[in-house]
Amino acid sequence: MTAISQRRSGAFVRRNGSQFIVIGLLVLLAITGFIVSDRFATVANIMNILEQSVTLALVSLGQTLTILTGGIDLSVGSMISLASVLLSGITNGDANMVAPAIAIVLALGIFVGLLNAAAVVWLRVHPLIVTLGMGAVLQGITLLYTMGPAGKMPLGFDWLAFGRVLGLPVGAVIAVALFLLTAAFLRYARLGRYIYAIGDDAIGAKLMGLPRTKVLLFVYAFSGFMASLTAIFLVSRFGVGQPYTGANFTLTSITPVVVGGTLLAGGRGGVLGTLLGVYLVSLLNNVLNFMDISSHYQLIVQGLIVIIAVSVYVEKKRTL
Amino acid sequence: MKNLLKRFAAPVLLCSVATSAFADNSYTGAPRTFLFNPAQDVCFKDTSQYKKEGPYTIGFSNAGLGDSWRVVALHSMMKAAAENKDKIAKLMITDAGHDDSKQVADIQDLVSRGVDLLIVSANTAQALDPAVTRVMEQGIPVVMVDRRIESDNFVTFVTASDAISGRLFAQWIVEKLGGKGNVVMLGGQAGSSPSEIRMKTAMQVFNQYPDIKIIDTVYGDWSPVKSKQVMQSEIQKFGDQIDAVWSAHGLMTPGSIEAFVEAGWADGTIPPHTTADVNGPMQLALQHKVPLLEVGYPPAMAGEAIKSALAVLNGAQVPCITEINSQIAVTEGDNTASIDTKLGIKDMVVLDGPADLLVTGGMGPDYDPTTFSIDYPQ
Repeated sequence: MTAISQRRSGAFVRRNGSQFIVIGLLVLLAITGFIVSDRFATVANIMNILEQSVTLALVSLGQTLTILTGGIDLSVGSMISLASVLLSGITNGDANMVAPAIAIVLALGIFVGLLNAAAVVWLRVHPLIVTLGMGAVLQGITLLYTMGPAGKMPLGFDWLAFGRVLGLPVGAVIAVALFLLTAAFLRYARLGRYIYAIGDDAIGAKLMGLPRTKVLLFVYAFSGFMASLTAIFLVSRFGVGQPYTGANFTLTSITPVVVGGTLLAGGRGGVLGTLLGVYLVSLLNNVLNFMDISSHYQLIVQGLIVIIAVSVYVEKKRTL
Repeated sequence: MKNLLKRFAAPVLLCSVATSAFADNSYTGAPRTFLFNPAQDVCFKDTSQYKKEGPYTIGFSNAGLGDSWRVVALHSMMKAAAENKDKIAKLMITDAGHDDSKQVADIQDLVSRGVDLLIVSANTAQALDPAVTRVMEQGIPVVMVDRRIESDNFVTFVTASDAISGRLFAQWIVEKLGGKGNVVMLGGQAGSSPSEIRMKTAMQVFNQYPDIKIIDTVYGDWSPVKSKQVMQSEIQKFGDQIDAVWSAHGLMTPGSIEAFVEAGWADGTIPPHTTADVNGPMQLALQHKVPLLEVGYPPAMAGEAIKSALAVLNGAQVPCITEINSQIAVTEGDNTASIDTKLGIKDMVVLDGPADLLVTGGMGPDYDPTTFSIDYPQ
């Protein structure tokens, strides 16, 4: 093999290798499910898995973009909690208030994201610290607003979580559409390509005159928006917002991103890998439940997958 | 280290001695809530639509473990399933780790796996409501245990009375304080039904007494460690203005008493506390002369849930709320006009037993949660 063709195939593996690994694992899990139970491959169960994956998919989509810039958003969990209590608190059972409440929490998500980016850009504090601090601030505000479940949603709002469109869960269809749109945006829009450029080589991007500030404002605003959207689906699933609803999402939103092949250092990866990572996590929990394996092992398996995924991809970056 | 030694070396014999004293004054008849219910009619449900031939597959979606009460409750359920092996083909258990999202997914997975009946202990009352309601709509009967959902979309809820606990705790505090004083409300996990119902019903009583002031409401998350932290800051804030601590359960009470002891309160000066089930706060109350009221919330209710499940699948009539009896005990000299019981804290406590022992566990004298293992159908 010539040096050039070797480099080409290397680039192909680098771009798509991680996705092949995840697809391989998905197939392996599906086969395990088939063997364990004849009820695994039923339409009802597949719909369950799709339905269960929606909220993780939405929050991870936003997280992918921040990680692609070499940053991270650790405020998403608290943002979800705040948006969820505000949504059901403002709505409080009144169908006429649903649309304004949704608009308010989505706008708030964007605003919080812009604040995160502003602190990263102008205060020059690492995103890890900025968003960690913001997470604490948002959780505090949430608890000042309510210490328990707040308000309620009107009848029919659970359609988002449990409804079907073309026989598929509504949320899953919306999530996949958003992933495809974002993938196209990253590939074809100028701003999308800048996200990769800045994550790959921040100094180089600066020398080339790329608008780092604009890119960071965009990705953190997008992440905040997606966190609020996640909250809307969670409230639809639970019928109410609660002050700790989002707590687990901060770390779990990172899992599918890194499993899907996006490097924590930024610049490499993409949202389709994340979507596969989301399905991997959801399928894993489902299959382990079918296998009667305690959820305590489910946590261990998830943790190990993250560590293995990150170590595999780090190694790849070093050798390529 | 001393605690560890105590925990592992606790002689089982003491358990049985103590529980026999406890048995003398304990009440085991028809549920008191039934006897004292002022309504002429009690809600019962006809379950003939759920009657089917066994052996059955039963699913249990647990909110999570994490404290000694929930561990004993789970073991109590496994024990009841083992005792009914002829009727139960499989008991499938999931654990949501106190995460609403995970529990909704667990419930969906259990239904996918094919259950004849689902037992649910809901992490939070409102968030699990839509998921449980959907299971009932599919024609699968749901038995709630310990933690219910907001609506009545289940066949029966197996519990001890949260309302009785909440109200008796409050009434006793009112009478101990002579109708006047400052109370700190120490809740469990915000949003969970035992915590919310006990607090709500306690407030109904406190609100009858204008001179009783709730100076703060805090949550201890069913944890002595967390409770100690929150009570330390309450003591810093309010000091000796605190006249009583209304604690939703004995899992939180020891943290609060310890916070007072460490803040320099002398024996006999720590304000009255309320508790349930747990050995530790009873030991501390006797040691530091803290007025203490115990209204039990026995983890044995999880075993009762299996019996209720079998009754439903047999098409028998079941009460809408299946309440099991709570024991009521106070420290010596702390009976009041309304809370006048023969059962003393000294009768219930296992003095040399581990602090996290549940004296109302109902698992027999040989039970040790760390080594418990049973062959239940799975």
